[in-house]
Amino acid sequence: MSLLQAIIDGLLVGGVYAVISIGLTLVYGVMGIVNFAQAEFLTIGMFVAWFAWAFLGLDPVIAAPLSFAVAFAIGWVVQGQLVARVLNAPSVAQIFLTVGILIVIENGSLLLFGSQFRSVTTSYQTASLSLGPLFISVPYLIAFAMSLVCGVALWWFMRASWFGRAMRATAQNPAAARLIGIDAELMYRLAFALGVGLTAFGGAVILPYVTVYPGVGGQFVVLMFTVVVLGGLGSVAGAVVGGLAVGVIQSLSALFFPIQLQNLVLFVVFILVLAVRPQGLVGASR
Amino acid sequence: MKGRSAPCLYILAAALLPLLLDPRGYWMRVLTITLLFAAMAQAWNIVGGLANQISLGHAAFFGIGAYTSTVLLLKFGISPWLGMFAGGALGGMAALVIAIPTMRLQGHYFALATLAFGEVMRVIANVWTSLTGGPGGLSVPFVPPSFLAYSFKLLRPHAYIALAALIVVTVIFQAIRRGAMGYRLRAIRQNADAAEVIGIDTTRVKLFAAVISGALMAMLGTLYAQVAVFFDPDTVFGIAGISIRVALIAIIGGVGTAAGPILGAFFIIPLEEIMNGLLSSRAAGLSQFVFGVILIAVILWQPRGFITALDSLRARLSRKGAP
Repeated sequence: MSLLQAIIDGLLVGGVYAVISIGLTLVYGVMGIVNFAQAEFLTIGMFVAWFAWAFLGLDPVIAAPLSFAVAFAIGWVVQGQLVARVLNAPSVAQIFLTVGILIVIENGSLLLFGSQFRSVTTSYQTASLSLGPLFISVPYLIAFAMSLVCGVALWWFMRASWFGRAMRATAQNPAAARLIGIDAELMYRLAFALGVGLTAFGGAVILPYVTVYPGVGGQFVVLMFTVVVLGGLGSVAGAVVGGLAVGVIQSLSALFFPIQLQNLVLFVVFILVLAVRPQGLVGASR
Repeated sequence: MKGRSAPCLYILAAALLPLLLDPRGYWMRVLTITLLFAAMAQAWNIVGGLANQISLGHAAFFGIGAYTSTVLLLKFGISPWLGMFAGGALGGMAALVIAIPTMRLQGHYFALATLAFGEVMRVIANVWTSLTGGPGGLSVPFVPPSFLAYSFKLLRPHAYIALAALIVVTVIFQAIRRGAMGYRLRAIRQNADAAEVIGIDTTRVKLFAAVISGALMAMLGTLYAQVAVFFDPDTVFGIAGISIRVALIAIIGGVGTAAGPILGAFFIIPLEEIMNGLLSSRAAGLSQFVFGVILIAVILWQPRGFITALDSLRARLSRKGAP
């Protein structure tokens, strides 16, 4: 029964992993850049939600759209001023530009907010629903539901809106997209801002059960990459499957291994997946 | 950057530098660390520059070297000189183990896989407490100073050892680059499929580069352990502290060139030290913040490294000099 419990916990946590990783895969899918600083936007989202809770009394779940908006604005500037300049540069320059952004955001938040750990208290923090012999943690469930809403909204945006279709057209063929009058640079900005906004949104919804501090993003870096590589870098549907899979792997490995080895299992899975199927387990469609 | 007896002059100048500095002082330490990082970046350059595979996991080999020699010294009293070669052998083997599944990967994928491998080693070092001392770290035990025991009263011998290491690694790098292996590696870099078609065993060439690079990196780990005297898993297996910094030094200096890592190290390491001295007392994170800003600026200004800026400067000067 604890096996089933672990799978349920894993799926709930994995839903959030999916949303924070969709941001990463979206940026790669549209412009071919792996953003090593992506997890830092999770930190930004968490800080925004924490301050909204501390000063405005907003629940992190309510503040999540605010986190999204702040990260979206920062992402808009970062893409326009920095990332856009290395779009055609060698991959070395792309990797290290985003590494530089990572260092700046992590230490910038250390400068602004200090190194202390901050957490929120909510009424539902320790609540859980019992379903026969199983327990469903309420903060996990809420975070999962919010992620689901966010994922569906993104899916609708990419499918049905003009911007979403223009963005997908740019991803497929930037030159052709320009020919039919799409502003490719605008689409890149939109994709980057949307991508980091989603990750920040995910940061806000996990705040009820994860403590925020300037280095918190670092804990999620390899995790996010594992999710997107499992699902295929650039594939949004793949990120959803990958997120759920990583959540389940993590919570199952906690059953069999000591807690310190939890991430080790993830890393080994990550390297094996890269070695065996670098295009992802789900397939390589964008 | 061809055809000159200049390297000998540079080496002579570098050899005089430690004599000018206070043998126990702060700048002697900075010089030693700078030379070590230049050598590490040069070792990284064999994989990153010649094979064009951006590794973000070289801390794995570095840490293996630091731990191997120190554990051998602690448990069996074996001189770190021998421990260095044991570490080199283990580092080479580790490089082989990770290179076999990842060498087909390119660009971002290779960077990600090696990043995860470095993390695997860090987690293992943290958990395997009986061997590594766990998160508490290891202290290199004090032994009476002698060359054979690799123990010195002053920092100056360490600076010379680091300089010698830099020269050895640079010579190995140049030998590979100029030799048949270098042509094969460049062929693979330009077009792996075409290289395969003309009969280059791309697998073997890449494995060879990875093993040499990993072994050298591990041996430099021993040198670092002897200078630092104390280290823990998060230091020697650090992503930002070792893996990224080493790659960054080579890239900022000029990837794939022999002078690049040296230029990069003499820019980055003293800069970090100066900023730490000036800024870290003001506010936590300020020096790293400024470091990140400088990194971004350099990448945007010269995506191919300082060496191209120097080359174009030299070209402009010689054009002006000509009648």
